[in-house]
Order: sequence, then structure tokens, then C-alpha cells
Amino acid sequence: MRTAIILVIALASVGTSASATPAIISDYATQAKQANPGFTGFAADRGKTLYFRETLQNGKKISCATCHSADPRQAGKTLAFRTIDPMATSVTPSRFTDSKKVEKWFRRNCDDVFKRECTPLEKGDFITYLSSLK
Amino acid sequence: MKKILLLGAIALMGISAGQIMADDGEHHEGGKRPKQLARSLSQAPAVWKTECGSCHMAYPPGLLPASAWKRQMDTLKNHYGSNATLTPEDEKIIRTYLTGAAADGKYATPSQSNKVEAPRITSSGWFIHKHDEISPAVWKRKSIGSAANCQACHAGAAKGDFNEDGVNIPR
Repeated sequence: MRTAIILVIALASVGTSASATPAIISDYATQAKQANPGFTGFAADRGKTLYFRETLQNGKKISCATCHSADPRQAGKTLAFRTIDPMATSVTPSRFTDSKKVEKWFRRNCDDVFKRECTPLEKGDFITYLSSLK
Repeated sequence: MKKILLLGAIALMGISAGQIMADDGEHHEGGKRPKQLARSLSQAPAVWKTECGSCHMAYPPGLLPASAWKRQMDTLKNHYGSNATLTPEDEKIIRTYLTGAAADGKYATPSQSNKVEAPRITSSGWFIHKHDEISPAVWKRKSIGSAANCQACHAGAAKGDFNEDGVNIPR
């Protein structure tokens, strides 16, 4: 019962991102609030901008969309020929349900694309965007 | 072509496919494929398959010697341009498995032209010899992409089956 109440509070505090695992989103919300007390919630539009933000790596423009597909409802493909299940939670409901896996891929892929770690705000926005697609 | 006929003849003589794989290239200097490649992958830890198989095919440990797998595991922060770092627990399990089931022998050792990168399977003497009839244009076909895409031509690659008879080079 107490867990249920906590979940409801967590969901209410982050607004629109109900379809990704609430615990993961609320963890990022807590971290985002710690980093910036003015944090008011995650936004799908900022997540979308991040998804398509291009950087130059070894002379090639890359973004999340390079491997994950320009339409997150479609399957992607790694640079090493592996198919990647669609990122949109409406198509792949298991996305963003395993916090260890989520953190692993943010750690690796943010380093590959942005040459740095992603912030809790970026992670929450990213998940919110991919959870908002019908 | 001559080799294919020879293999066919041996198969007809009733020798098992497993033996052919293990003996393949025995008399061809530099073309000897590591024998451990024929080893079953059933002992592989689950984490090896999920972690090494998420961006590319999980390359069977018999494709590289232990020294090369050590280099791979030591350089995951920059794994051919990508961050492929693991949790310490997963890293330990995978390192133990790869080095334990690795290939040995001088033909298994890849040449290393690039000191920054971990050694590539495709720079092993046996690999180059086995693929010497494949022109650069074939590797670049959209259906193949590069020599790292074993499964494009070897359908059983992920199971460790690289038998020449099963090769189908896509257009």
C-alpha cells in the first residue's frame, strides 16, 4: 500500500511519462531536482531534440537516430549489423523497465554520441519522449 | 574449388562433419583455422551472449587467442570507436570464459597494424587465407557491409558453425 502511494506521488511529480517504469523516471526526477532545484518536470520535446542532436565523430555526423532509426517506432541497426528493437515504448513495452540496462546504455551511448555522460534531466526527457509516441 | 571437392569426397567417405571442421586446412600453411572454433558454445555464460551479442554477433572465443581477448577486455572503453564498458561482475565472467575457450597456435594470432585498437579477427592469418577469393567489392555489398558481418554468408556463425559447405554469399 505504501509503495502504491509513493508510486502515485512519483507519477504525479513527473507529469506525462506514465508508460515507462515509474521507479526509473522518479529516480531521474530526484537526481534532476538535486542538480537543479528549479526542476519542474521532464519534457518530451526536449527529449526529441536530444534524440536528433547531431555531433561530429571521426568526420561523420551521428545522433541517437543514426542507429535507433529516425522513426523510433521502427527497428534500428547498429554499426555492426545488429537489428535494434524500436525505442518507442508503444512498440517495445520492455524499454526502460530494467534500470541496470537503461543506465548501461546511457553510459555507453551518450559517450559515443556526445563524448560525455548524459544528465539526469536529459535521461528523463529522452525516456519521456520515447514513452509519448503512439 | 578444389578444396570444396576434396571436402565433399571426405564427407562421402563417411567422416563426420565435426572432424572435417577440426582438420580443415591442416595441410595449408597459414590457413589453419583455430581448432577451438569447432568447440560447442553450450558452455558459454548467458552474459557473454547478451553483452557481446547486442551490437554485433557474439564472436565465438575460438576465433582469437587468449592474448587478443585480454586486449579486447582491456580496451572496452574504446571498442573500435564505441564505449562497450561492462559492470565489473559481467566483465570478470566474460573475460574468464573468453580466455579459457580461446584459440591457440601461431595461425590464430592476428597481426596488429594499429597499436590503439584491439586485434581484429579479420587480420588473423587463417582468416585472410580462408577469404582470399573474396574481392573488396563483395565485402562492401549492402547485403554484407564488412568482413565483420560473419552471418551475412555463414548462416550458422552465431552457433560457431563456419563450415565452408554452408556458405552462401548474398548478392
